[in-house]
Amino acid sequence: MANRLLEISDLEVAYGDVGALWGVSLHVDPGTIVALVGANGAGKTTLLRTVSGLLRPKAGDIRVSGRSLVGKAPQEIARMGIAHVPEGRGLFRQMTVLENLELGAFQPRARPRTKQLLEKAYTLFPRLKERAQQKAGSLSGGEQQMLAIARATMSEPSLLILDEPSLGLSPLVVQQMFSLIQTLHGQGVTILLVEQNIHQALKVADYAFVLQTGSLAMQGTGAELIADPEIQKAYMGVLE
Amino acid sequence: MFNLPPPEILLQLSLNGALGGAMYGVAAVGLSLIFGTMRLIFLAQGAMIILAAYFVRALFYGLGIDPFLSLLIVVPVGLVVGWLIYQGLFRKAAAEEDRNVSLLIAVGLMFLVQNLMTVIWGGNTAGVVTSYTATGIELLGVRTSFTRSMGFLIALAGTGLVMLFLRKTIVGKAVRAASEDMDAATLMGISPHRVNAIAFAIGISLAGAAGVAVATTFPFNPFAGFIFSLKALVALALGGIGNVTGALAGGILLGLIEAYVQFFISGGWTNAIAYGVFLLVLMFKPEGLFSRPYKKA
Repeated sequence: MANRLLEISDLEVAYGDVGALWGVSLHVDPGTIVALVGANGAGKTTLLRTVSGLLRPKAGDIRVSGRSLVGKAPQEIARMGIAHVPEGRGLFRQMTVLENLELGAFQPRARPRTKQLLEKAYTLFPRLKERAQQKAGSLSGGEQQMLAIARATMSEPSLLILDEPSLGLSPLVVQQMFSLIQTLHGQGVTILLVEQNIHQALKVADYAFVLQTGSLAMQGTGAELIADPEIQKAYMGVLE
Repeated sequence: MFNLPPPEILLQLSLNGALGGAMYGVAAVGLSLIFGTMRLIFLAQGAMIILAAYFVRALFYGLGIDPFLSLLIVVPVGLVVGWLIYQGLFRKAAAEEDRNVSLLIAVGLMFLVQNLMTVIWGGNTAGVVTSYTATGIELLGVRTSFTRSMGFLIALAGTGLVMLFLRKTIVGKAVRAASEDMDAATLMGISPHRVNAIAFAIGISLAGAAGVAVATTFPFNPFAGFIFSLKALVALALGGIGNVTGALAGGILLGLIEAYVQFFISGGWTNAIAYGVFLLVLMFKPEGLFSRPYKKA
């Protein structure tokens, strides 16, 4: 398993005395899109926040390219090549679109190439170039989500973590979002995607894990899980 | 009602108020920066200003260094001292969720500095008297004090430099980002300790600059700083917490309010009304008087 980009083993996380994750193991291979799906409160966001260091695990291990990141601060984990677009996007709303993007390349690894990275981001997100001098908080919901993803790509991460990118967006914008995720994938970006929009997520994912109240319930390729009658019944509202 | 005084008097009042208020403003800019990243009201800011004033006085009477020239020493020393204060006193407490620990450390630091100053320089009122202390200059057709005008310029320049740093440099942008959302900032690879230390370094160097302005303008004693901290807090509330130019403007506005109250009502009412305004603003416009909510697209 030496070539696993992200390897989570027996992860346990608790808020105070209340357990949120019990012994979850999952992995992400380089160049793939991995979806993590499940109902509200299943622990998806908790898992992502633990990977990026915003939460501390109670037990278990998280390794990136073989190096453990347990106990490291979020800024150290970011510098190891993990870019996390949190739920709610985490934009600096009072700052301009351009400033948000520049901060995406803050870490020493990316900072000297801020200019080139900006060009690259603007090619993928031409809308953001038009809005460069506007405050991030003044953008529409879809544009804000684009900005959050563009900002994360500014660090040229080895793993891009997206927490509910489609949340609160209109169906049309959701479509754009998923095609963007596929474009990024085509450019070789490895993506760990958390979604409540399970059908869409499984469609783009190479591999997927299903979380149920803090434990792993199922895993398989996206195609396998879409076809699974249990999944269809539990998450996609398909009636028998 | 009362009759309005002649315009030259009004102008004189406004000018004096604005010049004095700029000092509250520069103290408030420091508070604003530190509050921004640390969510801490640094109550020792006023004591640090008075400490700087004593330092300026010592440089003047001990080494013959002109108070305004001593800016070149006080400001860099302030940067270093601010950095050390953060690393030595606040670094550990800043990692705690509970801000009360940091607040208590700030209060402890304030009392320590006040009493150390008393031990070293005595509790009596001190001042810096130079050849130009009594010099007046003509400004907008009104006569005013040269040192007060210089204090105003120092406040403007200090705030301007801080604004440039925050707006034009990537590290300054990181400080603003951390003030807005520390979690999101850390996800960008920004270290909380680094931005906190920077905020402290700049905050204390501004206290140094304010110390020069105070030393040349007012008589002071080791315990005068606390009132300064309170006034800076009022200025901060007027200007909007976390808004650097607003903090300066809030200070100037507070100076104007004080000048008018003193003239039209009475000197005894100055502080009562200043703190009354403070409470009213916090009750009815907690985001500050100058913040405009931006439009959603």
